[in-house]
Amino acid sequence: MKQKRDIAGRRGPIALAAFVMLQSTAAVFFVGDALSDMLTDPSAPHSVFESLVALALTLGVVFGAWALRQTLEQMRAQAQALQVARGALAEAIEAQFALWGLTPAERDVALFALKGLDVAEIAALRGAAQGTVRVQLTHVYAKAGVSNRAQFAAWVVEDLLG
Amino acid sequence: MAKGHISLGGQSAPRPETAPQTGGPSWDPLVRITHWAVAVAVLSNYLLNRAGGTWHVWVGWGLMAVLALRFAWGFIGPQEARFSSFLPNPFAALRHLGALLRNLGGQRSTMPEYPSHNPAGSMMIYALWAMLALVAITGLVMTGGASPVRLAQQQAIVESGDWSTLVQADEDGDDAGGRESGAWAKEVHEVAANLVVILALIHVAGVGLESRALGRNLVRPMLRKS
Repeated sequence: MKQKRDIAGRRGPIALAAFVMLQSTAAVFFVGDALSDMLTDPSAPHSVFESLVALALTLGVVFGAWALRQTLEQMRAQAQALQVARGALAEAIEAQFALWGLTPAERDVALFALKGLDVAEIAALRGAAQGTVRVQLTHVYAKAGVSNRAQFAAWVVEDLLG
Repeated sequence: MAKGHISLGGQSAPRPETAPQTGGPSWDPLVRITHWAVAVAVLSNYLLNRAGGTWHVWVGWGLMAVLALRFAWGFIGPQEARFSSFLPNPFAALRHLGALLRNLGGQRSTMPEYPSHNPAGSMMIYALWAMLALVAITGLVMTGGASPVRLAQQQAIVESGDWSTLVQADEDGDDAGGRESGAWAKEVHEVAANLVVILALIHVAGVGLESRALGRNLVRPMLRKS
């Protein structure tokens, strides 16, 4: 999910930049041609039309570049907002853990549990026995006033929903 | 592990927090594309295309377009692509080179980080741009400003058996002043082109040394978004 979003977000501006570059190349060739036509025969309808097209192409490049910059700035702002939101959620969870009086070890285990790891995975990550993790999780549930992992996880959803 | 289970921060798989930003700017796609387009244009016109040939002129005009776009981007692009964030400063460049040499000499001083190009790098960029602009302008003088489209047209006419355009061109360039400026332009074109290649080699070496001193690959952000 995240992977997909990243790739889509990455290709959009690249395609736009490539397009702007193609357009500016075309514009330079066309403007050069229009200029030499203008110099040889400025009043010919051909020259007038060519300069119009050259002007349009140049404006197209400018607007394309402008759109690219807007896109880049928007993406940057979104990434920042996402970072802030993530930080805010993490902070809220930390505060709640402190309120429940979880020990540092219990906080780690609780966070892993929220992230969806099962007992075996948590034990492997922490280098602890599965029994230890199970006991710590029981303590977490008891301190949180819930009876199982589903209820514990629901607490985060509730917080997210406001 | 539970599929579709609730997870923090939208991560669907357990993994350590995303690696922290290692510092240094990330280049936008337009900067990356124009950078490599210039590199390809310089290499192909220096090594592959016959000097003065049709391909040489086509690539030269393409290079002009890329440069023009990058210069425009220097005014309207995002912060780290703008000229204002890497104005030329020779003294800062020398200080930076000093710090770089001290660092590589074993002194574990921390290298300063910059939001855009480092001062030495930006001096190199301006030098390269100046030389590339000089190459483009003298190239235009040498071809009489004729676009590749026009050159191709002339060639087609000559190939069809009508040699009058050649005679006309000869007469145009008959006055001594024109020929002299042509020779002068050719000289400058060649010297500037050689300088571009020499500067590019120093640029590559500089990127290598700076990467070593900073302990991170500086080529990667120029290839893809970090």
